[in-house]
Amino acid sequence: MTTTALPPSTPLPRQSFDRRKLGRWALLAVSALAFVYILTPLIFVTWLSFYSQEIPSFPPEGYSLKWYAGAISNDRFIDAFILSAELGIVSTLIGLVLAIPASLGLTRLKFRGRDGLGNMMLMPLIVPGIVLGIALYIFHVEIEINTGLPIIGSFYGLVWGHVLLVIPWAVRLITASLAGFDRTLEEAAQNLGADRFTTFRRVTLPGILPGIVAGGMFGFVSSFGNLEMSLFLVGPGSNTLPIAILQYLRWKIDPTIASISVLQILVIAVAMIITDRFVKLSRVV
Amino acid sequence: MTAAAANPATRSRPVLISASSLIGPATIIVAFGVIAPMLILLRYSFNRYDPRMLMIEAFSPENYLKFFSDPFYLQIFWTTLRISLLCTLICLVLGFPLAYVLARTRVRYKNLLIIGVVIPLFVGNAVRAAGWMTLFGSRGFLSVMLMKLGITNAPTEIMFTETAVIVGIIAVNLPYMVLTLQSVLEGIDRNLEEAAFSLGAGPLTMARRVLWPMALPGIAAGVILTFILAMNAYATPVLLGGPDFHMMAPLVYSQFQLNNWPFAAAVAFILTVTTLALTVAAGLATRQRFRG
Repeated sequence: MTTTALPPSTPLPRQSFDRRKLGRWALLAVSALAFVYILTPLIFVTWLSFYSQEIPSFPPEGYSLKWYAGAISNDRFIDAFILSAELGIVSTLIGLVLAIPASLGLTRLKFRGRDGLGNMMLMPLIVPGIVLGIALYIFHVEIEINTGLPIIGSFYGLVWGHVLLVIPWAVRLITASLAGFDRTLEEAAQNLGADRFTTFRRVTLPGILPGIVAGGMFGFVSSFGNLEMSLFLVGPGSNTLPIAILQYLRWKIDPTIASISVLQILVIAVAMIITDRFVKLSRVV
Repeated sequence: MTAAAANPATRSRPVLISASSLIGPATIIVAFGVIAPMLILLRYSFNRYDPRMLMIEAFSPENYLKFFSDPFYLQIFWTTLRISLLCTLICLVLGFPLAYVLARTRVRYKNLLIIGVVIPLFVGNAVRAAGWMTLFGSRGFLSVMLMKLGITNAPTEIMFTETAVIVGIIAVNLPYMVLTLQSVLEGIDRNLEEAAFSLGAGPLTMARRVLWPMALPGIAAGVILTFILAMNAYATPVLLGGPDFHMMAPLVYSQFQLNNWPFAAAVAFILTVTTLALTVAAGLATRQRFRG
């Protein structure tokens, strides 16, 4: 996850061993297989969403768009989508506000226990989601018993959990971006009379913006797609989108749920392609 | 202030103060979001469970003993470990070539290829399981195609098998492996590969003697990440494995739903400790390789 630039293109020496050619074909074949493998589930769920019959039997009797009309008028999924979106945006913003200064501290300052703190920030990624979920739930129970604050199953309880998902991604990508940042630019700004805050705002911040955008994006996405932790933290009667989809799929698979899945894929794909125009994904991911 | 700020020597005293003000808030959130809850969870795992009174304060190892003495739970433990190791290995074998191609390609649509790998990450595991459910059903694409091609005579039942779960988990984890490896491989100077080739190395030798050792930290990171994700898998085993297939993460949730919080806490801890122990072992092993 670094922002390393590719070396300038060097012409390949023309010494085409057969071995090398064979190796290249094998390489391409395995890569193509892996690439198709990654996309297969998305392709099939998209295909199913256009079936005209409700039963997912192949080959389809015909094709239809009617399931999409049903999906976007389904209150259960709309409510879940809105909750997931709100949760993702709020958690990402809070997570970034916490992660940007923390990343600066971790890369710029030298103090004892710095590596330990850095590793601690990544802990929410290492602790399994299901374990973190049950641990947080029990913690919320203890808080509510001892202080009376109504946190169990509340939106704030969910945000708290999801901020934990955002912080490690944001810290990881912002520190990587800070490590590759040329500090002489800051010195130049300060020599020209800028104070520290101006230097940060006008020089450092634009320089690490790709890292911030990428960190925020990854944070939002891990929040939006989170299932395991949210299972424990949602209140009765409210569901995030992944939970709503899971519950439906435990019951049955049909074109309705497929079309909801496709709408989710579309929103994400559009967001990604737009983001890619600002920060090259191949450089930040 | 400006001149002093540029000189690190004069800043050494306030470093601790600025460090705590910069890093403090995030540290507190993580500490109160992860460490404190985990400690309470650990404490709960030593409590007793009673069907009528739910949880009874106690300090007994009985939940752990119950897990490790019951063949049913041990079976779940070994299944989870076996599937996670297998999925991680396959992810590495499939992911390394794709990561290499993505790191080295100069085609115009490289960004589209990257987006193709990233989008599935962003799409939830349940959605991807839905795709496999379409493919694997007894009247689904795979079963029908196999019959049409004359390979099988009866519908193939892949849904609700271990195979379905393994296929599903690999698809979930492969993008993580590919992206981790790609960023590391992109940092390796291409000239080193050319040097190996011009000295007469074949592609496999080059990959083994040049790419592999240089990418080892990235490989370790990718392996650890995919392993953790596989151990942690919830939606994929629940949806593709069906009600009679058990792995650790679904076990934690089902015990929690049965209100047996102490046992759920114990299972959660066994899962965490196993994952962490293997992760640390993998980290140490790569460091050893590095020195040697």
